[in-house]
Amino acid sequence: VSARASVTVGRARDEVERLWQSPDYRPEYIAGSGAEVTFADALGDRGTEIHVDLAGAKSGRLAGLAKKLARGVRRAKVKDDLRRFKQHVETGVIARSEGTPEGERAERKLSQRPAQPLSDSELEKAGI
Amino acid sequence: MRANVWSGRNTVQVENVPDPKILNDRDAIVKVTSTAICGSDLHLYDGYIPTMKRGDILGHEFMGEVVETGKGVGNLQAGDRVVVPFTIACGDCWSCRHELYSVCENSNPNAGIAEKMFGQPTAGIFGYSHITWRLRGRAGRVRARAIRGRRTDQDRERPPGRPGPVPVGHLPHRLLRRRPMRHRGRRGVAVFGAGPVGQFAIASAPSAWRPPTATERWTPSSE
Repeated sequence: VSARASVTVGRARDEVERLWQSPDYRPEYIAGSGAEVTFADALGDRGTEIHVDLAGAKSGRLAGLAKKLARGVRRAKVKDDLRRFKQHVETGVIARSEGTPEGERAERKLSQRPAQPLSDSELEKAGI
Repeated sequence: MRANVWSGRNTVQVENVPDPKILNDRDAIVKVTSTAICGSDLHLYDGYIPTMKRGDILGHEFMGEVVETGKGVGNLQAGDRVVVPFTIACGDCWSCRHELYSVCENSNPNAGIAEKMFGQPTAGIFGYSHITWRLRGRAGRVRARAIRGRRTDQDRERPPGRPGPVPVGHLPHRLLRRRPMRHRGRRGVAVFGAGPVGQFAIASAPSAWRPPTATERWTPSSE
Protein backbone atom coordinates (compact mmCIF):
# COMPACT_ATOMS: atom_id res chain seq x y z
CA VAL A 1 0.00 0.00 0.00
CA SER A 2 1.36 3.35 -1.03
CA ALA A 3 2.07 5.75 1.80
CA ARG A 4 1.39 8.81 -0.29
CA ALA A 5 -1.73 10.68 -1.30
CA SER A 6 -2.16 13.90 -3.21
CA VAL A 7 -4.71 16.28 -4.67
CA THR A 8 -4.59 19.31 -6.94
CA VAL A 9 -6.49 22.38 -5.80
CA GLY A 10 -7.30 25.12 -8.28
CA ARG A 11 -5.92 28.02 -6.28
CA ALA A 12 -2.56 29.76 -6.02
CA ARG A 13 -0.03 28.21 -3.67
CA ASP A 14 0.04 31.01 -1.08
CA GLU A 15 -3.74 30.91 -0.79
CA VAL A 16 -3.81 27.09 -0.46
CA GLU A 17 -1.11 27.16 2.23
CA ARG A 18 -2.93 29.90 4.13
CA LEU A 19 -6.30 28.08 4.01
CA TRP A 20 -4.65 24.77 4.98
CA GLN A 21 -3.64 26.40 8.27
CA SER A 22 -6.89 28.28 8.90
CA PRO A 23 -9.30 26.82 11.49
CA ASP A 24 -12.25 26.69 9.04
CA TYR A 25 -10.44 24.62 6.44
CA ARG A 26 -7.83 22.70 8.46
CA PRO A 27 -7.97 18.97 7.63
CA GLU A 28 -8.41 17.38 11.06
CA TYR A 29 -7.21 13.88 10.34
CA ILE A 30 -4.07 14.84 8.46
CA ALA A 31 -3.21 17.48 11.06
CA GLY A 32 -3.40 14.87 13.81
CA SER A 33 -1.54 12.06 12.03
CA GLY A 34 1.96 13.44 11.93
CA ALA A 35 2.14 12.98 8.17
CA GLU A 36 4.50 15.09 6.12
CA VAL A 37 2.68 17.64 3.95
CA THR A 38 4.30 19.46 1.04
CA PHE A 39 2.93 21.97 -1.46
CA ALA A 40 4.03 22.47 -5.06
CA ASP A 41 2.89 24.63 -7.97
CA ALA A 42 0.88 22.48 -10.37
CA LEU A 43 1.68 22.50 -14.06
CA GLY A 44 -0.22 24.83 -16.36
CA ASP A 45 -3.18 26.67 -14.87
CA ARG A 46 -4.13 23.94 -12.45
CA GLY A 47 -3.23 25.59 -9.17
CA THR A 48 -1.41 23.81 -6.34
CA GLU A 49 -0.54 20.19 -5.63
CA ILE A 50 -0.79 19.00 -2.03
CA HIS A 51 1.27 15.90 -1.21
CA VAL A 52 0.83 13.91 1.98
CA ASP A 53 3.42 11.29 2.94
CA LEU A 54 2.43 8.87 5.70
CA ALA A 55 5.73 6.97 5.79
CA GLY A 56 6.96 8.89 8.82
CA ALA A 57 3.62 8.95 10.61
CA LYS A 58 3.09 7.09 13.87
CA SER A 59 1.81 3.55 13.38
CA GLY A 60 1.85 2.24 16.94
CA ARG A 61 3.26 -1.23 17.63
CA LEU A 62 1.77 -3.05 14.68
CA ALA A 63 3.85 -5.25 12.44
CA GLY A 64 3.63 -6.98 9.08
CA LEU A 65 0.15 -7.38 7.56
CA ALA A 66 -1.60 -5.46 10.34
CA LYS A 67 0.68 -2.52 9.67
CA LYS A 68 -0.10 -2.67 5.97
CA LEU A 69 -3.85 -2.76 6.59
CA ALA A 70 -3.69 0.09 9.06
CA ARG A 71 -1.78 2.11 6.53
CA GLY A 72 -4.49 1.47 3.91
CA VAL A 73 -7.17 2.76 6.25
CA ARG A 74 -5.11 5.80 7.18
CA ARG A 75 -4.46 6.61 3.54
CA ALA A 76 -8.20 6.39 2.77
CA LYS A 77 -8.88 8.88 5.57
CA VAL A 78 -6.13 11.16 4.31
CA LYS A 79 -7.70 11.08 0.85
CA ASP A 80 -11.10 11.96 2.36
CA ASP A 81 -9.49 14.97 4.01
CA LEU A 82 -7.83 16.03 0.77
CA ARG A 83 -11.06 15.76 -1.22
CA ARG A 84 -13.04 17.66 1.39
CA PHE A 85 -10.41 20.39 1.50
CA LYS A 86 -10.50 20.70 -2.30
CA GLN A 87 -14.32 20.78 -2.34
CA HIS A 88 -14.44 23.36 0.42
CA VAL A 89 -11.84 25.64 -1.18
CA GLU A 90 -13.08 25.36 -4.77
CA THR A 91 -16.86 25.30 -4.25
CA GLY A 92 -17.44 26.62 -0.73
CA VAL A 93 -19.35 23.49 0.33
CA ILE A 94 -18.80 19.79 1.01
CA ALA A 95 -20.51 17.47 -1.50
CA ARG A 96 -23.25 15.57 0.33
CA SER A 97 -25.92 13.13 -0.74
CA GLU A 98 -28.67 11.14 0.90
CA GLY A 99 -26.47 8.03 0.68
CA THR A 100 -23.51 9.86 2.27
CA PRO A 101 -24.97 12.81 4.19
CA GLU A 102 -21.71 13.62 6.02
CA GLY A 103 -19.84 13.90 2.74
CA GLU A 104 -16.96 11.63 1.75
CA ARG A 105 -15.88 9.41 4.63
CA ALA A 106 -13.89 6.19 4.50
CA GLU A 107 -15.95 4.72 7.35
CA ARG A 108 -19.12 5.23 5.31
CA LYS A 109 -17.90 3.37 2.23
CA LEU A 110 -19.16 -0.05 3.29
CA SER A 111 -22.18 1.15 5.24
CA GLN A 112 -24.07 3.43 2.90
CA ARG A 113 -27.60 4.34 3.85
CA PRO A 114 -30.31 3.99 1.19
CA ALA A 115 -30.40 7.07 -1.04
CA GLN A 116 -33.68 8.40 0.33
CA PRO A 117 -34.36 11.74 2.03
CA LEU A 118 -33.29 11.81 5.68
CA SER A 119 -35.52 12.15 8.69
CA ASP A 120 -34.96 15.10 11.03
CA SER A 121 -33.09 12.99 13.56
CA GLU A 122 -30.78 11.60 10.87
CA LEU A 123 -30.09 15.13 9.61
CA GLU A 124 -29.14 16.19 13.11
CA LYS A 125 -26.87 13.19 13.50
CA ALA A 126 -25.11 14.03 10.24
CA GLY A 127 -24.56 17.60 11.46
CA ILE A 128 -26.83 19.32 8.93
CA MET B 1 -43.31 12.49 -1.37
CA ARG B 2 -43.86 9.49 -3.62
CA ALA B 3 -40.75 7.92 -5.13
CA ASN B 4 -39.77 5.06 -7.37
CA VAL B 5 -37.70 2.83 -5.09
CA TRP B 6 -35.36 -0.03 -6.00
CA SER B 7 -35.89 -2.95 -3.68
CA GLY B 8 -33.79 -5.68 -5.21
CA ARG B 9 -32.92 -7.16 -8.57
CA ASN B 10 -35.72 -6.57 -11.13
CA THR B 11 -37.98 -5.03 -8.51
CA VAL B 12 -39.01 -1.39 -8.13
CA GLN B 13 -42.06 0.08 -6.49
CA VAL B 14 -43.56 3.48 -5.80
CA GLU B 15 -43.45 4.25 -2.08
CA ASN B 16 -43.91 7.10 0.37
CA VAL B 17 -40.58 8.55 1.52
CA PRO B 18 -39.70 11.65 3.58
CA ASP B 19 -39.61 14.98 1.70
CA PRO B 20 -36.09 16.01 0.64
CA LYS B 21 -34.20 18.70 2.56
CA ILE B 22 -31.40 21.06 1.58
CA LEU B 23 -28.13 19.31 2.56
CA ASN B 24 -25.74 22.07 1.57
CA ASP B 25 -25.97 25.72 0.56
CA ARG B 26 -25.75 25.01 -3.14
CA ASP B 27 -28.60 22.52 -3.31
CA ALA B 28 -31.95 23.15 -4.93
CA ILE B 29 -35.03 21.03 -4.50
CA VAL B 30 -36.97 20.43 -7.69
CA LYS B 31 -40.52 19.14 -7.86
CA VAL B 32 -40.45 16.68 -10.74
CA THR B 33 -43.19 17.33 -13.29
CA SER B 34 -42.12 14.86 -15.95
CA THR B 35 -39.47 12.24 -16.19
CA ALA B 36 -38.14 9.58 -18.53
CA ILE B 37 -36.72 6.12 -18.07
CA CYS B 38 -33.25 5.97 -19.53
CA GLY B 39 -31.74 2.86 -21.08
CA SER B 40 -29.03 3.05 -18.45
CA ASP B 41 -31.68 2.75 -15.69
CA LEU B 42 -32.03 -0.85 -16.81
CA HIS B 43 -28.50 -1.62 -15.59
CA LEU B 44 -29.54 -0.52 -12.11
CA TYR B 45 -32.91 -2.26 -12.32
CA ASP B 46 -31.40 -5.63 -13.20
CA GLY B 47 -28.58 -5.40 -10.67
CA TYR B 48 -25.76 -5.06 -13.22
CA ILE B 49 -24.25 -1.98 -11.55
CA PRO B 50 -22.72 -2.69 -8.13
CA THR B 51 -23.29 -0.65 -4.93
CA MET B 52 -27.09 -0.48 -5.24
CA LYS B 53 -28.90 -0.54 -1.91
CA ARG B 54 -32.39 -1.62 -1.10
CA GLY B 55 -34.44 1.59 -0.81
CA ASP B 56 -32.47 3.63 -3.35
CA ILE B 57 -34.58 6.07 -5.36
CA LEU B 58 -34.02 5.79 -9.11
CA GLY B 59 -34.13 8.33 -11.90
CA HIS B 60 -31.85 10.80 -13.63
CA GLU B 61 -33.81 12.19 -16.59
CA PHE B 62 -36.24 14.78 -15.30
CA MET B 63 -37.61 18.28 -15.42
CA GLY B 64 -39.68 20.23 -12.97
CA GLU B 65 -40.19 23.28 -10.85
CA VAL B 66 -37.80 24.69 -8.26
CA VAL B 67 -39.45 24.72 -4.83
CA GLU B 68 -36.52 25.61 -2.58
CA THR B 69 -32.92 26.77 -2.96
CA GLY B 70 -29.97 26.80 -0.60
CA LYS B 71 -28.40 30.08 0.58
CA GLY B 72 -25.57 29.76 -1.92
CA VAL B 73 -27.74 29.51 -5.03
CA GLY B 74 -28.00 32.89 -6.74
CA ASN B 75 -29.26 32.02 -10.19
CA LEU B 76 -32.44 30.05 -9.44
CA GLN B 77 -35.51 30.76 -7.38
CA ALA B 78 -38.66 29.00 -6.33
CA GLY B 79 -41.07 28.77 -9.22
CA ASP B 80 -38.44 28.51 -11.98
CA ARG B 81 -39.10 25.71 -14.44
CA VAL B 82 -35.99 23.69 -15.16
CA VAL B 83 -34.66 20.84 -17.26
CA VAL B 84 -31.94 18.94 -15.44
CA PRO B 85 -28.94 17.25 -17.04
CA PHE B 86 -28.00 14.09 -15.17
CA THR B 87 -24.35 14.74 -14.39
CA ILE B 88 -23.71 17.09 -11.50
CA ALA B 89 -21.11 19.80 -12.01
CA CYS B 90 -19.67 22.22 -9.45
CA GLY B 91 -18.65 24.81 -12.04
CA ASP B 92 -15.50 25.71 -10.15
CA CYS B 93 -13.00 22.90 -10.71
CA TRP B 94 -10.57 22.71 -13.62
CA SER B 95 -12.69 20.13 -15.46
CA CYS B 96 -15.89 22.20 -15.19
CA ARG B 97 -14.10 25.35 -16.30
CA HIS B 98 -13.05 23.41 -19.39
CA GLU B 99 -16.60 22.13 -19.99
CA LEU B 100 -15.70 18.56 -19.03
CA TYR B 101 -18.72 18.33 -16.74
CA SER B 102 -18.91 14.54 -16.61
CA VAL B 103 -15.60 14.43 -14.75
CA CYS B 104 -16.34 17.24 -12.29
CA GLU B 105 -13.80 16.86 -9.49
CA ASN B 106 -16.02 17.94 -6.62
CA SER B 107 -19.59 16.72 -7.07
CA ASN B 108 -19.24 13.00 -6.33
CA PRO B 109 -19.66 12.33 -2.60
CA ASN B 110 -18.32 8.79 -3.06
CA ALA B 111 -15.37 9.58 -5.29
CA GLY B 112 -13.21 7.16 -3.26
CA ILE B 113 -15.25 4.15 -4.38
CA ALA B 114 -15.26 5.25 -8.01
CA GLU B 115 -11.53 5.87 -7.88
CA LYS B 116 -10.90 2.39 -6.53
CA MET B 117 -13.05 0.79 -9.22
CA PHE B 118 -12.26 2.90 -12.29
CA GLY B 119 -8.90 4.39 -11.40
CA GLN B 120 -10.43 7.86 -11.71
CA PRO B 121 -13.74 9.09 -10.29
CA THR B 122 -16.54 10.52 -12.42
CA ALA B 123 -18.82 13.41 -11.52
CA GLY B 124 -21.79 12.76 -9.27
CA ILE B 125 -24.89 11.59 -11.15
CA PHE B 126 -28.48 11.84 -9.96
CA GLY B 127 -29.93 8.56 -8.77
CA TYR B 128 -27.28 6.34 -10.27
CA SER B 129 -25.85 3.84 -7.74
CA HIS B 130 -23.67 4.69 -4.77
CA ILE B 131 -20.60 5.06 -6.97
CA THR B 132 -21.99 8.34 -8.21
CA TRP B 133 -25.05 8.88 -6.14
CA ARG B 134 -26.87 12.07 -5.48
CA LEU B 135 -30.58 11.87 -4.95
CA ARG B 136 -32.70 13.21 -7.78
CA GLY B 137 -34.05 16.67 -7.25
CA ARG B 138 -31.03 18.67 -6.26
CA ALA B 139 -28.72 20.76 -8.36
CA GLY B 140 -25.34 22.42 -8.11
CA ARG B 141 -24.53 25.89 -9.31
CA VAL B 142 -23.45 25.33 -12.89
CA ARG B 143 -26.21 22.90 -13.44
CA ALA B 144 -28.65 25.47 -12.24
CA ARG B 145 -27.23 28.00 -14.67
CA ALA B 146 -27.32 25.44 -17.42
CA ILE B 147 -30.93 24.62 -16.82
CA ARG B 148 -31.91 28.25 -16.73
CA GLY B 149 -30.23 28.80 -20.05
CA ARG B 150 -32.41 26.15 -21.54
CA ARG B 151 -35.59 27.85 -20.58
CA THR B 152 -36.74 29.82 -23.57
CA ASP B 153 -39.11 32.76 -23.54
CA GLN B 154 -41.46 30.70 -25.60
CA ASP B 155 -41.47 28.04 -22.96
CA ARG B 156 -42.30 30.55 -20.26
CA GLU B 157 -45.26 31.82 -22.25
CA ARG B 158 -46.68 28.55 -23.32
CA PRO B 159 -50.06 27.52 -21.92
CA PRO B 160 -50.20 24.50 -19.62
CA GLY B 161 -50.33 21.20 -21.41
CA ARG B 162 -48.47 22.29 -24.51
CA PRO B 163 -45.38 20.25 -25.34
CA GLY B 164 -42.29 21.67 -23.76
CA PRO B 165 -38.69 20.71 -23.23
CA VAL B 166 -38.12 17.02 -22.67
CA PRO B 167 -35.19 15.61 -20.70
CA VAL B 168 -33.45 13.63 -23.36
CA GLY B 169 -32.69 9.97 -23.12
CA HIS B 170 -33.94 7.53 -25.66
CA LEU B 171 -37.54 7.86 -24.55
CA PRO B 172 -38.34 11.33 -25.91
CA HIS B 173 -39.04 10.04 -29.36
CA ARG B 174 -42.17 8.56 -27.92
CA LEU B 175 -43.10 11.81 -26.25
CA LEU B 176 -42.24 13.77 -29.37
CA ARG B 177 -44.53 11.58 -31.38
CA ARG B 178 -47.39 11.51 -28.97
CA ARG B 179 -47.61 14.87 -27.30
CA PRO B 180 -47.73 17.32 -30.20
CA MET B 181 -50.46 15.29 -31.80
CA ARG B 182 -52.85 16.52 -29.17
CA HIS B 183 -52.30 20.06 -30.33
CA ARG B 184 -52.85 20.93 -33.92
CA GLY B 185 -50.85 23.87 -35.04
CA ARG B 186 -47.11 24.27 -35.12
CA ARG B 187 -45.23 21.05 -34.93
CA GLY B 188 -41.54 21.31 -34.58
CA VAL B 189 -38.69 20.30 -32.42
CA ALA B 190 -35.47 21.92 -31.36
CA VAL B 191 -32.64 19.64 -30.29
CA PHE B 192 -30.04 21.19 -28.04
CA GLY B 193 -26.76 19.39 -28.62
CA ALA B 194 -26.31 17.22 -31.68
CA GLY B 195 -24.29 14.41 -30.11
CA PRO B 196 -25.39 10.77 -30.41
CA VAL B 197 -28.48 11.24 -28.24
CA GLY B 198 -29.45 14.42 -30.10
CA GLN B 199 -29.02 12.63 -33.43
CA PHE B 200 -31.30 9.91 -32.20
CA ALA B 201 -33.95 12.44 -31.21
CA ILE B 202 -33.68 14.04 -34.67
CA ALA B 203 -34.03 10.66 -36.36
CA SER B 204 -37.07 9.91 -34.20
CA ALA B 205 -39.01 13.04 -35.14
CA PRO B 206 -41.99 12.20 -37.37
CA SER B 207 -41.18 12.89 -40.98
CA ALA B 208 -44.32 14.99 -41.42
CA TRP B 209 -42.80 17.63 -39.20
CA ARG B 210 -40.62 20.32 -40.50
CA PRO B 211 -36.97 19.29 -40.11
CA PRO B 212 -35.73 19.55 -36.53
CA THR B 213 -33.57 22.50 -35.64
CA ALA B 214 -30.41 21.37 -33.91
CA THR B 215 -27.58 23.19 -32.22
CA GLU B 216 -24.21 21.68 -32.78
CA ARG B 217 -23.14 22.62 -29.32
CA TRP B 218 -25.15 24.14 -26.58
CA THR B 219 -23.52 26.81 -24.44
CA PRO B 220 -25.02 28.09 -21.21
CA SER B 221 -26.06 31.71 -21.53
CA SER B 222 -24.62 34.12 -19.00
CA GLU B 223 -26.94 35.50 -16.39
